Amino acid sequence: MSITTYILMDFWRNLRNIGSTFFIVVLPAVLYLFFGVYNEWSDFPAGEGNVSAWIMIGMAVYGAITATTSLAGSAAVEIQQGWGRQLALTGLPHGAFVLAKTTIALAMALLPVVVLNAVAFFTTAQMPAGVWLAAGALTLVASLPFALYGLAVGMLFRSDAAIGAASGVLVILAFLGNAFMPLQGVLLDIGRFTPMYGSTALARFPLSDGEIIGTAGPVGSDPLWAVVANVVAWTAVFGIACLALQRRRTRRQ
Amino acid sequence: MTEAIISAEALVKEFPGGGGDRVRAVDGVSLDFERGEIAAVLGPNGAGKTTLLDMVLGLTAPDAGRLTVFGGQPQAAVRAGRIGALLQTGGLLPDLTVKETVQIIAALHHQHAGIEAVMEAADLTEIASRKVGKCSGGQQQRVKFALALLPQPEVLILDEPTAGMDPAARHRFWDRMALQAEAGTTILFATHYLEEAEQFARRTVLMHGGRVIADGPTDHVRQHAGAAHITAIWQPTAGQLQQLPHVESHQVQGRRVNFRTTDSDALARHLLTATDAHSLTIRPASLEEAFMQLTTPQEAHR
Repeated sequence: MSITTYILMDFWRNLRNIGSTFFIVVLPAVLYLFFGVYNEWSDFPAGEGNVSAWIMIGMAVYGAITATTSLAGSAAVEIQQGWGRQLALTGLPHGAFVLAKTTIALAMALLPVVVLNAVAFFTTAQMPAGVWLAAGALTLVASLPFALYGLAVGMLFRSDAAIGAASGVLVILAFLGNAFMPLQGVLLDIGRFTPMYGSTALARFPLSDGEIIGTAGPVGSDPLWAVVANVVAWTAVFGIACLALQRRRTRRQ
Repeated sequence: MTEAIISAEALVKEFPGGGGDRVRAVDGVSLDFERGEIAAVLGPNGAGKTTLLDMVLGLTAPDAGRLTVFGGQPQAAVRAGRIGALLQTGGLLPDLTVKETVQIIAALHHQHAGIEAVMEAADLTEIASRKVGKCSGGQQQRVKFALALLPQPEVLILDEPTAGMDPAARHRFWDRMALQAEAGTTILFATHYLEEAEQFARRTVLMHGGRVIADGPTDHVRQHAGAAHITAIWQPTAGQLQQLPHVESHQVQGRRVNFRTTDSDALARHLLTATDAHSLTIRPASLEEAFMQLTTPQEAHR
């Protein structure tokens, strides 16, 4: 038995799904090239680096979150559409499926982080080496709660189309979460309470220490506790939704 | 006595129904299956066939009763690859190719029969690189048949295996299954195609409303349902008709009378010896009629 073969084949299956790979890797990379490289603000200072680096982290967070959302969501749909029964007829031990899917989701989430950081490194982004690594690692960590979001949608709607829609919603959440264009004023005040804001701010914390960067300089700052509180609160919301849906499903059986 | 490899005693499985009450999908089923048997589980939709097979495969746990497979837990037999199964429609990943599907499942078995071998056995070699989502229903069933063969199982469980196949494909499917049976594989299949049970199964278990309503050699089940038809040339009086033994119903067509009987021998003897009826033809009822006969009264007092 080789779970590694299963993981590699399933990873390849997800990777060649052009629709989702486009949103996970290509879209954030292109957006970064448009808004983060060679613009007038690209080389403005932002914390310990420049605005280009600040924008790159936001785009990488978007890509990684899209990966965890769609992978977790499609895993839930697969299980409910009968693939889970097929797997239950093999020697695959209990829990190994979750382990395999987690590995695949992390690998998919790592993809935009690596691509965006490489593009940023060879273009205009500036950060100290330690900040590069810390921000990259936190980008991955910050994408994990959204696996619960994808899982909840998958359990609720049981269709691949719903997972596609849930990934589409992430574009709006990324905008409100300050991951794309730098926000200010009312939009920033509202955005602070949306799910992606915490993840984005957390990944950027090593760079700017909570300072919020606009295209013309700092526009405010977040204490670490507020950033963590956003992440914890939304993780709890998604987690509770999953538990409630799971309970509803078990009652039906 | 031969060894029972699947042994079920008073199995019960309930599901929540509409309006808060619980529906018994399987309601006190006791069955033993021996090595080398080829048995059909026959019944209409909702008879409990799939639920019963799911329990045998360890996919669902019974609420009550005792179930052993190869003397142990069903899951243990499945993990060891001693049982292979072809489940009902659905359950494949549409964006894998046929060959990738076989490969990815093969990777999860402790040992397997070989990817090329099972693809050959299920007649998939020509469509190996086709995406599963682009395969017809019958082709997808063949993919699942290949998956069922992978662990080289001693028992094959097939849940509506020919659903979505045209008659020719269905014929070829049972030919391939006959090869498996000849090789000594025990086969247990659910179907609602009565002729599949009649042609392929030596034993038939008839299920209705979660219960076993008949179980035995397929021929006996058919007879147990009683039914046979006798046609005779005869012009009886109403009084003569009333004295006939074992008649369920009759129909007069010109000089002929058609009887439906629960004991064709006794009725034929009576007709030939005690009346002037002649030119008798006796025809056993089909399994379909047996089925109607056995299920209708149950329907009446439900």
